[in-house]
Amino acid sequence: MRSKKIRWHQVLLEFFKYTFLIIFCIVVIYPVLYAVLGSFKSNYEVTLGGTLWPKEWLFTNYKEALEQFDFLKYAINSIFLGFVTTVVSIFICSLAAYCFARKEFVGKTLLENVILGTMFVTVGTVTLRPIYQLMVKINMHNSLMPVVFIIIAANLGTYVFLISKFIKGVPVQLDEAARIDGAGEFRIFFQIILPLIKPVLGVVGLFSFRSAWNDYINSNIFTMTRPDLKTLTVGVVSLRNGLQAAAQWNIMLAGAALSIVPMLIVYALTNKTFITGLTDGGVKG
Amino acid sequence: MNTDLNFRKKQKRIRIVKSTLVTYMMLLPCLIILVFFVVYPLLWVLRYAFFEYDGFRTAKFTGMDNFIRLFTRDADYWKSVGNTAIYAIGKLIITVPLSFMLALLFNSRLRMKSLFKAVVFMPTVISTAVMSMIFYFMFNSYNGIVNQLLMKASLIAQPIEWFGRDTAMLTAILVAIWGAVGNYMIYFLSGLQTVPEELYEVAKLDGANYFQTLLYVVLPVLGPVLQTVLMLAIITSLKGFESIMVLTGGGPAGATDVMYLYVYRTFFPMQGEATFIPQYGYGSAVAIVTALIAGAVTVVYLRASSKMDSE
Repeated sequence: MRSKKIRWHQVLLEFFKYTFLIIFCIVVIYPVLYAVLGSFKSNYEVTLGGTLWPKEWLFTNYKEALEQFDFLKYAINSIFLGFVTTVVSIFICSLAAYCFARKEFVGKTLLENVILGTMFVTVGTVTLRPIYQLMVKINMHNSLMPVVFIIIAANLGTYVFLISKFIKGVPVQLDEAARIDGAGEFRIFFQIILPLIKPVLGVVGLFSFRSAWNDYINSNIFTMTRPDLKTLTVGVVSLRNGLQAAAQWNIMLAGAALSIVPMLIVYALTNKTFITGLTDGGVKG
Repeated sequence: MNTDLNFRKKQKRIRIVKSTLVTYMMLLPCLIILVFFVVYPLLWVLRYAFFEYDGFRTAKFTGMDNFIRLFTRDADYWKSVGNTAIYAIGKLIITVPLSFMLALLFNSRLRMKSLFKAVVFMPTVISTAVMSMIFYFMFNSYNGIVNQLLMKASLIAQPIEWFGRDTAMLTAILVAIWGAVGNYMIYFLSGLQTVPEELYEVAKLDGANYFQTLLYVVLPVLGPVLQTVLMLAIITSLKGFESIMVLTGGGPAGATDVMYLYVYRTFFPMQGEATFIPQYGYGSAVAIVTALIAGAVTVVYLRASSKMDSE
């Protein structure tokens, strides 16, 4: 009697558990699905709302977005920004992390504290104008490179300490053996350390790529005077302020899909790295 | 003998100097970024807060004028501070319990756990700005899908004006919740996974039910993690304005203006705001006060939570 009662209780609990989860997942997925599926609808069908599934699959939205609305250019810019940020970020942060993990030098504690400080002070919005002025002075304001450095600066602390924690786990004997064999510091770094810390570099690379690909505020500022440098995010949002925006929702959705879908593919392939990276290093999202 | 020792000492010193030089060379790129993209801009802001400066004419030193203006004559700013509080509290009050509940679910036995987890975490991966654009479209009052669905389900009789004066903040909060739950869930989950299995077993042996275990066993152990997650949550909801910027631009009539968006607009007047002339000096003062407010909230929170700990 009693055991049966408990089982009913549990079945009910399980039922609620899954119902809750499934409803929540639908709420999460719905907007994304709505955008991606909507990008295949005609503008008339999009503005009508109606069903999720397109009545007729139109690929012309993409053709129009890529050709007439410059989204091909924007996509290339986004890819450029994403890859450059990833590579530069890995390079700079791992070099610095190596010094923190292995070296003693004058000003180490000071530098450590400054970097730590950047993690707690919200610099982003506050420092954007001075950085822009500075870039105007050295004639770099018409480029995406400042965005690369701003994104790296914003995450410097997290990445450097994350990598340095990992390097500390690599046995020092390996460096020493190489040093006795006559290898210089750079050689030790590139040939001994880097290959051994690939997992953490993967995490840092992934997070850098995401920050760059999804960046809107910084990219928007540095492409104000150069529309041909706009990234996908900037391109999509600028349709809102455009004159014909109201009439071009299908183009907006196609552009949005171009921004979202590649990131979702990257996420699907690296899902584990994303989540473990987040919990291991406390990388903020 | 003596010269030999001297020679060796000298060589050692040379080696140390050389290795220090190499170390600094390796640190150089990082230092350049810190100096040009963090330290210099912060000093700039600290300086121009005491100037009248629009970027064109030469800056004029005005002492505390900017701060006096901010504290006595800028009601819009203080309204945006109030809005930030509403936005942050509204977001946290739903996000924190919801993500904690989800974390508890993911910490229990579950089929297709990794699939569910991947879906819940997904919003963290895609662009906030692009998603806000999509939500802007979906919440459109006249033909947006949200109103259509609600009307089809007979939950509302008339379309809701989601970006109206009274509702725009609610819409912004809903969008923020959508984007944040998965992120916090992962933090809570990683905290829950540090609770040793034995504790659950001991609690079970003592005859504690699920909620008793949660309240008296899990939560105390989870204390520090909860504290960190809450702090992160508070900071991110205070500084986040990207979503609002795209959704409403702070409107209508400042109803969703938050303090960091206000800072942003003093530095970069938005399109269509012809009257909004750049005022970098004043913007710097606003930026400093805003950063101090955010800092103060964090400190108060830390004080309060550590007090709770010691009791």
